[in-house]
Order: sequence, then C-alpha cells, then structure tokens
Amino acid sequence: MKILIIEDEKELAHNISAYLSDENYLCEFAETFQQALEKIEVYHYDCILLDLMLPGGDGLKILEQLKKQDKQEGVIIISAKDSLQDKIAGLQIGADDYLAKPFHLSELAARIYSVIRRKQFGNSNIIKLHELQIDLLAKTILVNNEPVILTKKEFDLLLLFIGNKNRVISKSALAEHLSGDIADMLDNHDFVYAHIKNMKKKLVDAGYRNYLKTIYGTGYKWEA
Amino acid sequence: MNKLLNRPLKVFTLYALLVLACSIPVYYFIVDYIWRNELDEYNEIVKSRIESGLNKLSLDKDEWAQTIALWNKTQPGTTIEKSVLKESRPDSIYSIMRQKQSANEEDLERFRGLSTYIRVNEDIYHLTIEINVEEAHETVFAIAAVTMFFFIILLAGFVILNRRIATQIWKPFQSTLERLEAFDLNSQNNIDLEKSDIQEFEQLNQALYLLIAKNISVFRQQKEFTENASHELQTPLAVLKSKIDLLMQNESLTESQSELIASLNIPLSRVSRINKNLLLLAKIENHQFSEGELVNLTELVNQNLDFLEEHLIAKNNTVEMEICEHCVVNANKSLVEIMLVNLLLNAIRHNQENGMIKIQLTNKKLTISNTGNSSLNKETLFKRFINSSTNTPSSGLGLSIVKEIANRYHWHVDYQFVNHFHQFSVKF
Repeated sequence: MKILIIEDEKELAHNISAYLSDENYLCEFAETFQQALEKIEVYHYDCILLDLMLPGGDGLKILEQLKKQDKQEGVIIISAKDSLQDKIAGLQIGADDYLAKPFHLSELAARIYSVIRRKQFGNSNIIKLHELQIDLLAKTILVNNEPVILTKKEFDLLLLFIGNKNRVISKSALAEHLSGDIADMLDNHDFVYAHIKNMKKKLVDAGYRNYLKTIYGTGYKWEA
Repeated sequence: MNKLLNRPLKVFTLYALLVLACSIPVYYFIVDYIWRNELDEYNEIVKSRIESGLNKLSLDKDEWAQTIALWNKTQPGTTIEKSVLKESRPDSIYSIMRQKQSANEEDLERFRGLSTYIRVNEDIYHLTIEINVEEAHETVFAIAAVTMFFFIILLAGFVILNRRIATQIWKPFQSTLERLEAFDLNSQNNIDLEKSDIQEFEQLNQALYLLIAKNISVFRQQKEFTENASHELQTPLAVLKSKIDLLMQNESLTESQSELIASLNIPLSRVSRINKNLLLLAKIENHQFSEGELVNLTELVNQNLDFLEEHLIAKNNTVEMEICEHCVVNANKSLVEIMLVNLLLNAIRHNQENGMIKIQLTNKKLTISNTGNSSLNKETLFKRFINSSTNTPSSGLGLSIVKEIANRYHWHVDYQFVNHFHQFSVKF
C-alpha cells in the first residue's frame, strides 16, 4: 500500500511514516505544494494525507487537482484548522476524511485503514480476521458465524483496534476516539475501561479467542 | 454638569447687565445736561422777548409800576423788580428746589432759573425766570426702567438664540457623539461620521477617524496574533503527540517507563484544549462563524445527554429534566452546541458523586444545575483562566466561551447558588 504524506513539518511526516511502516504501508513525502503536485501527477497512491497549509499554495488546490484528474486516491486532510467550515469545504471538494491536528497516530491509522478499505472493497466491505467477521457497511459482527450485538461505541473501538493491529494504543487515544473533541475536558478516562470490558466479554462469550492484550498502565494492544 | 453654550450665555448676560447698569447714570447725566441746556436757552429767549416787549411799550411811571405789579401777579415763573443798581450785572443761572406754587402739594419741585438784568427806558430791572425741571430721581427711575426693559428683551433674545444655536450648530457634534456611543470595536466596522461645514467639528471628525482606524487595526492585529499563535502551536503539538505514540510502541520499555510516557498524554491534551479554546474565542470575537439558522435546542440537549450518559453513570449522577418540546433558537448551530456541551460538561465535572443534575429548557431560558456545597465567585466565574475549583484540571476557558457565545447573540448568562445547586442559566 502506498501512501503520500503531503506535510511541510518533516518531523510529523516521518513519525507518521514510522508508525505506519510496520503494516505494509509504504510512505512517500511531499513537503511543498509543487512537490505534491508533481507526485500526484506521476504516481498512484492508495491514500494521500494532505496538510492544507503548505509552502507554495493551498492544500485544497491539490485536492481540486486530484479530482480534476479523476484520480481515485483516498484523501485524508490533516490540518491545524479545526473549524466546521474548513471541514465542510474539504469534504465537499472530495476529501474522504478530515483529521484536526494534533491527533493520535492510532486514530490516523484507523482512518487510513477505513478509507483504503472503502476505496478497495466498495459495496462488500467485510473484514475477516480469524473467527471474526466485520461488515463495515452494515456495522454488524459475526463470531464463528454467530452474530454479536455491539453498541456503537464498542463497534468503534473494535475498528480502532483492527486498524492498529500489533500497536499499543494509549488510553488517551481510545478516549479521544470515543468522545471526539471533548475527551480532553473529561476528568478521567475510566469510561474507556467499561466499554472495552463489555466488548471483550461479548466477543469472548461468542467464542472469540482473546487477542486484545492489556498493557498495564498504558493502554491496549490487539495482537494478530 | 453645565452645557457648553450656557457658560458664554451666563458671561454675556452678566456683561450685558453690567454695561446697561453703567449706562443708567451716563444716560441720566446726558439727558439732564441736554435738558438744562435747552431750558437755559429757553430762558434766554424768554428774557429777550420780555426785554424787547417791554421796551416797545411807552408808559409813564405809574403805569409802569402797575404793569410790573400786574405782570408779577399774572406771569408765574417770572418776576420783574426795579433794581437800584446803576449798572447791569452778568446773568446767573441756578437750579433750585422749592415747593410748587400752584399746587398745595408737599413735595419739592426742581426749577431752573435765570437771574438777569434788563434795561427798560434807561432803568435797570432785575428779571428772574424760572421753569420747572423734571426731578433727578424721576429721570433716573425712568431711565432705569427703560434699561431694565431692554435688558429683559436682550436676555430673552440670548436664551432663544442660544437654544437655536445649540440645536442647529451643534447638530453635527451631536450626531458624531451618537455614532461614537454606538460604536463597537468588536464589530470591526469602520465608523461613518456626519460631514460638517464647521471647521472645528470637521477637525474633530478627522481626528476621530484616525484614532478609530488605529484602534481597529491594533485590535485586529491582536486577534490575528492569537489566531496565528494558536494555529502555529497545533503542529508542534501534533509532532509531540505522534512522538509519544511512537515511543509507546517500543517493546523494550519497562512498565514504569510506559506509564510515564502514557501520562504525558494528559497535560498534552490539556495544552491542545487550551489552544483550541483560545482559537475558538478569537474566532467568535472575529465573527468568523456564519450567521444563524433555526437550531432545535430540545434535540441538541437530548443528543448530547445521550453522548455524555456514560460520564453521568460513572459518577452515579441522576438527571432531572424539564424540557419543552421543539424549542428552537436562531443561532449558529456549532456555537450553540459548543455552549451546551460546555455547560453540560461543566455540570458533570464539578458535580459530586451521587449528585444530581437538573436541566430545564423553555423557549426563553436554558438552566443547567448541579449539586454543590457553596456559592462560587460570580465576579470571576466567567473570566478567562480563572478556575473556581482546584480539584479538577481544566482549560479555564469553558465558561468564558459560554459567555462569549451568549454575548454574540445578546443572550444573558447568569449564575446563582440556590438550595445547594450551582445554577447556570442562559436567557435567550
């Protein structure tokens, strides 16, 4: 899987690349508007991470260019701008997702995973993982072909883990994933435990072997 | 406070009074002088007429004596006496106060007299002519009365003219004043002052234009600075956050190291929250949110309560709701939601274990209350970076944002401590 990271902050681009590299992702970088334009014209990527404020031009112009060339790449905007207008503008031009800085790498990885799945599998987007079958569109789960009912939050957590296999996900990242913008306003992130405990119990009860490991004091890791 | 135009009016009035008062004796002396001169002239004329009249008569000595006696009886004001002098003396003029001859009144009258000697048929006669003059006090009184009358007319004129000038000439000034009072720096609209053909007012307007333009530009720069600073901070924060995420993947970390690294996330997310909130405040103040739409508050409250339910359960809080159906406000939806979430989270965060949260919503007012022990300081509650509680870390901006959003729509935010409840309300 090829990913283009269009981001002028080198450090951030390399951190993203380092995090993603284990998972069969190959990252390329573009630091300026011009570099980005050249790369998208010549190569094909599975997913493009796009910063909006670039030296040399507005990131949205790159997005417009992509759509003009009828490219099918999934685009995730990663921007310091966090207003609804910016999000709407980005999504209207054709971005698949919008992530405001600062974000957890696990969150980004899950979004990349989901964008690529959507682009590749379209209508029958079913993830099969050992005895687990997740239908991303219908949002249903089968364990050993038996349906398991998860709440929306439990389902969201499961997707985050699937998108970050073999990675340690911090409690803080989980809380942010669940409650979005307001996570940092909450005193404690204990509510995360409750959801994970419930999810685990439902899956284990249905006969799924426990792949989700607790990393003491830090977070969780889905080992597969 | 005095009105500006009343000051010169007072001074002018006093000055007019002084001048007019001084004019009274001057007028008197002039009138009296003219009066006496005229009478003296008149007496001279009478004298020469008598002299020439008597010289034309050719009478003998007895007839003379009879005529003079008769004259003295019938002509009041003049007396003729035969003088013993051989030579005539120069005339003398005098004023005298004496009782009126004709009337039997008590008061004295002033007379102007001419004492002269006339020569009739070689004899010298002493002739005195007296004529009644208006008394000094009567003249003074009349002059004073007329002067007072004119002073009153002058005063009335001053007041009326003053009033007219005040309304007409000061009109551009008043309009400038009104527009200045209505001016809101926050709205960033340049002010438009009425043109004036009076030099001073135009100067004032020009000075104001300059001052306001400078203010607006400083204000804008300050806002832009906050916004840019917040934006610039997001990227290093993102780098920091991603480094922590990467570091956590390191398998050689000990348990305590992992814990330490994970705990970095808490202050980090606080910094990014403060940063986001500052940016939000700057944006609200800069009016960067699009104008209103009809927002269904009932729906919004219910949605957010669902979302926050687990946090309520975690603290074992009960919720009591009195919510009207389909209550709407006209405002920007994101802003209303931010305000609502801030208030709800505030109530949840600062609530006690097993406490209660009350939510009341009508078309006019939203009230969110939570259990509490003692009243908070209302003065500083909505100010930036002032935390009223020490037990929970917060950005210190939540309530300022609520206040700022409410201000934008001219809603009224209030805090009260009632029956062991912290009560926050927004009046629409």
